Amino acid sequence: MSQGIWNRLQMIDRRIIYWVLFIILMIPFIRPLGLPVSITDQTRDLYNGIRSVKEGEVVVINISSGVSAWAECLPSLVASVKVLNQQKAKIIFWTSFVDGQLTYEAIVSKVPSFKERVYGTDYVYLGYYAGAETGVAQLAKDIRSVFTADYKGTPINQLPIMQNVNKAEDVKLVLSSDTGDVCDYYIRQWRVPYGVPVAEIGIAMIYSSYQPHYKAGILFGLSNGSRGGAELEKLVGELGDATTTMDAINSSHLLVIFCIVLANLGYLATRGKK
Amino acid sequence: MAYPTDVVGILGIWSALLLMLMIYSYPLYKENPFFRFAEHLFIGLALAIAVITAIQTTMRMAVTPVLGGDIVYVIPIILGFMMYFIFSSDYRWVSRYPIAILVGSAIGLGMRGVIIPNILTQIINTITFPKSTDFMSMFNFVYIALGTLFAVMYFLLTYEHKGAILYPTRLGRWLIMIGLGAYYGNTVLFRMSMLSGRAQYLLQVLRIIPM
Repeated sequence: MSQGIWNRLQMIDRRIIYWVLFIILMIPFIRPLGLPVSITDQTRDLYNGIRSVKEGEVVVINISSGVSAWAECLPSLVASVKVLNQQKAKIIFWTSFVDGQLTYEAIVSKVPSFKERVYGTDYVYLGYYAGAETGVAQLAKDIRSVFTADYKGTPINQLPIMQNVNKAEDVKLVLSSDTGDVCDYYIRQWRVPYGVPVAEIGIAMIYSSYQPHYKAGILFGLSNGSRGGAELEKLVGELGDATTTMDAINSSHLLVIFCIVLANLGYLATRGKK
Repeated sequence: MAYPTDVVGILGIWSALLLMLMIYSYPLYKENPFFRFAEHLFIGLALAIAVITAIQTTMRMAVTPVLGGDIVYVIPIILGFMMYFIFSSDYRWVSRYPIAILVGSAIGLGMRGVIIPNILTQIINTITFPKSTDFMSMFNFVYIALGTLFAVMYFLLTYEHKGAILYPTRLGRWLIMIGLGAYYGNTVLFRMSMLSGRAQYLLQVLRIIPM
């Protein structure tokens, strides 16, 4: 009898599990659970690094994460930019993703303090650059050889923010938001040759890859997907999308753990009985 | 971001929701014409955006400077055109030159920054005694040091894994599996996060939660 139950449990249609997962993910958005989020060292260091930027210093935000990664990267970017605006830093956005402009526009729409800042003077979006690591290396040497104008077509020399900025040494720090390995390019082409501090705002999938770089002091900070975003929101003092998302993710993980335990129990119970 | 009030905005968010549901109809139900329509539409749009961006970038970074008298940019334009010989069986060899330049420059650029962060700093960090002497710092120090040693020993493929290196290599294999498990766990975390974003969007469009 028990063998029958285990066999039936192992043969549950995967679509049922997907439906249950989708419904479980939705519940915390309707009724937040408010599960606690502790602050990790790498997120605190990222926050402190951004906090150390002084008024008028230039920060580059490299957007190498598309719309598909908004749930993971956007909350961290929004929280970071809120701090940079508080610090009155000058922010240069650029992207290596074809849909990077949508991410830039989402950041601007989600950070109310941009209304008090002047485009072209306090912040600018230069657009898309090609060439992967070659492009990143060229940006470190001569930004004007890659971008002649911003995304609106305004010549770069007419933008007040770019008056004294043309190479890596003119930049205080780089925040790279990635779904891949673009942060490696900034480590190799900005951090190592020019000593520009670099931090990673990445998806959870690449967190393990960049953890050694953070531990070794190559990256000054590291944000781990939605979890990092929730931590930054807590540090900034404005809870947002990532905090709610963490409840949903935690709930889904409980389901995944339950399924793994159940599957293994089923395997052990039916092993050798077929 | 507030819920749109104009017709275009409302049409936009409902179109996105319908396309999302069409895509999810595959895992939640089965393959069907709606899924295929949404999939093909997505691929077509993504390709169109990529092509337009590529053309704009080429115009901005190469063609405009050439028209402005900066003749040196003719070289990358010619190299770019040479790439297309890859489609000709008779003249495929022409495409090997720009590919060789591309690969060579990428390796050269990459190499100059690899040694310090990826090799030297990692070795120094692995063998440096931790500043803090609390239990977790010491555990991490020993775990990483021995883990690195045993995992590297696992790849000693010129020696049979028996005798003195039997248990270290076996432990190395276990540590590699734990590491890959952590990678996979983070991958699951990422996928769940993406899915939660879509679940949130569904509730926002249906006005169950604020946008």
